Amino acid sequence: MTDRDRNIRLEWLALALALAFAGLVVRLVYLHLLTDETIRQSVEDKGTIVKPILTGRGRILEGSKAGNIVALNVGMFDLCADPALLAKSNLTGQVASSLGTVLGVTSEELRGRLNHPEKRFAYVARQVPDDLVHQIMDLKTPGIFTRETTLRRYPQGGTMCHALGFSNLEGVGSAGVELIADKYLKGSEGFLESRLDGRRREMYGWRVQDIQPQEGADVYLTLDENVQYMVEMALDRAMEKHRARGAWAIVQRIRTGEILALANRPNFDLNEFRTARPEQMLNRAIGQVYEPGSTFKVVAIAGALNEGIITTNQIFNTENGRWSYMGKILRDYHPYSQLTVSDVFKKSSNIGTAKIAIQLGNERFYKYLKGFSIGHKTGVDLPGEEAGLLTPVEKWSGISVSRIAIGQGVAVTALQMLGVANAVANDGFLMKPYLIRRVVAKDGTVLYKGAPEVMGRPIRGDTAQKMRDLMARVTEPGGTGTKGAIEGYQVGGKTGSAQKPTAGGYSETDYMATFVGFLPVQNPEISIIVTVDEPQPFHTGGLVAAPIFKEIAEQAVRYLDISPSAQTGLAGP
Amino acid sequence: MARKNRKKNEQGFLFPVPLALTLLAVALLALFHICLKARADALGREIKALEARRVVLRDQLKKEEGEWSLLRSPARVEAALREHGLVMAWPRRDQIVRIICAPASGRARRLEPSQPLQYAQVQKVVMND
Repeated sequence: MTDRDRNIRLEWLALALALAFAGLVVRLVYLHLLTDETIRQSVEDKGTIVKPILTGRGRILEGSKAGNIVALNVGMFDLCADPALLAKSNLTGQVASSLGTVLGVTSEELRGRLNHPEKRFAYVARQVPDDLVHQIMDLKTPGIFTRETTLRRYPQGGTMCHALGFSNLEGVGSAGVELIADKYLKGSEGFLESRLDGRRREMYGWRVQDIQPQEGADVYLTLDENVQYMVEMALDRAMEKHRARGAWAIVQRIRTGEILALANRPNFDLNEFRTARPEQMLNRAIGQVYEPGSTFKVVAIAGALNEGIITTNQIFNTENGRWSYMGKILRDYHPYSQLTVSDVFKKSSNIGTAKIAIQLGNERFYKYLKGFSIGHKTGVDLPGEEAGLLTPVEKWSGISVSRIAIGQGVAVTALQMLGVANAVANDGFLMKPYLIRRVVAKDGTVLYKGAPEVMGRPIRGDTAQKMRDLMARVTEPGGTGTKGAIEGYQVGGKTGSAQKPTAGGYSETDYMATFVGFLPVQNPEISIIVTVDEPQPFHTGGLVAAPIFKEIAEQAVRYLDISPSAQTGLAGP
Repeated sequence: MARKNRKKNEQGFLFPVPLALTLLAVALLALFHICLKARADALGREIKALEARRVVLRDQLKKEEGEWSLLRSPARVEAALREHGLVMAWPRRDQIVRIICAPASGRARRLEPSQPLQYAQVQKVVMND
């Protein structure tokens, strides 16, 4: 081969290489500059992963020393399908049948979910446990895939259900503490943007954005699961014994306003909240208003004592149990001719209390009603609280003062009524009830701290002392609340047996039986209210609610290590 | 016309040494880069695996915490006591030993059952005064 031939060959080779390179450049320019934007974007998207990083909602912990978790998030999977792909592979029926067996769902139901060839996404089942997901994914069914998700779990099921509330499938608080503390609990999702390799694996080195999720804060409650358990067991037994329509109770620390237990019956399992009926989900302790009946006599008598217009030994004519005032008859459950103020309260005389309230007068009585926060929400940190019903004094009829004094024509929640008893026990100071003790972020920062808050002081300390003495007599022999007495402790309380209002009057058969009380009288620590809706066959607060109060209080004082009253001897059998 | 020196031509084209060194340096750098990239990718995969493991462990921890809370709940404790035939009862009067602090000696002494009852009282702080 001559030099010339070699040179020609080299030139051709160079030309071929140059042409090939030019071709590549042209293609490169075409792909980068002249290709349709949508095609370029689609190629780009296929190699990119953009996904939110899920975070768990914060935990909720109860307030006992154990500090047990009562709500937490656990990782789960949603089982998903590509119905279009299944239809294309002609696998819809087969997949529905095989998955139905594993998931415990009928194949017809699954076929209904999957038989949408026009869709590229459908849920097969949501929040499936890990073991089941692994079992299904081992089948390697085309068109079936999983998505990570979290599930809100309530380890103790129905315990504290009305106070805790629940969060929905999207992780949004929908009731109770879950709703009220949602902004603390929910945290914020993270975000990941990265590139995928040829096998569609995310490449760590190509991460564009990697924002870590911020987990929700933990909410610590004042509710004590042990006290709560005592209350719930007592209510369960009462519901069965009295064949009641409902029952609810609250236990509160008097000096601070902390709620130690709040329970309602009927209740529901928080893990199955979707199947609960509305009446099961109603937090009656704060969301149902009712005429308080005789328990409300505390307000009128405390007001009159505070104004100094009566003394505890002053005698009132109780008209042998039947008294006509402004053309309307008022009756006593047990007729008496004359009673001192102490006995009016102890025997729960309607006539005596009405006369005291009349002596107090509309304006002054109304002032005390407002002072005890009747007709206003207490501001407890729970959603769905009712304010109660209190007619403005300008709209009162002639007999209003006599009826409101005995708990008719006025409506309260159990929490409001407990607040009245608390104020008496707490030297006249009305404390704001609360059940969120603190909220702590994952890094330990305290985001919120619940603290005792005085809402007002409707009565003086000396009046409160007199009222405590009056209320202590209710549980002593001869009082209406003897079944609320506890050996070793001096208990202050008041019974209430309110007829339920019906259209145009009051029911003869349906009652609300209530007992509200506190103990020990000389150094009050806790207060408890128990309300039973339509108990049968007995319907009085003394017979129905007081024994439940006793059952709860007997256990609570021991658990909370409350010293017995020195004068009354040893606690226990 | 002077003739071409054929001896010189036989040596052919001599690759310039500086260029060769530059190319070698570039090649070495490229190799080094590839090694580093491979190492970074391997570390990335390791980090990803650890991240996934952390998520799994965190979930597992949460499940265990939930289970532990459930086991310690009063309902479960009561059920366990029942299951094992254990009954808890409040002590009878004669089973209680009451102790008071004698002011003289500063030591605790036992009260006879006939003596009036005394209880230790906790100093209470009245928050609202």
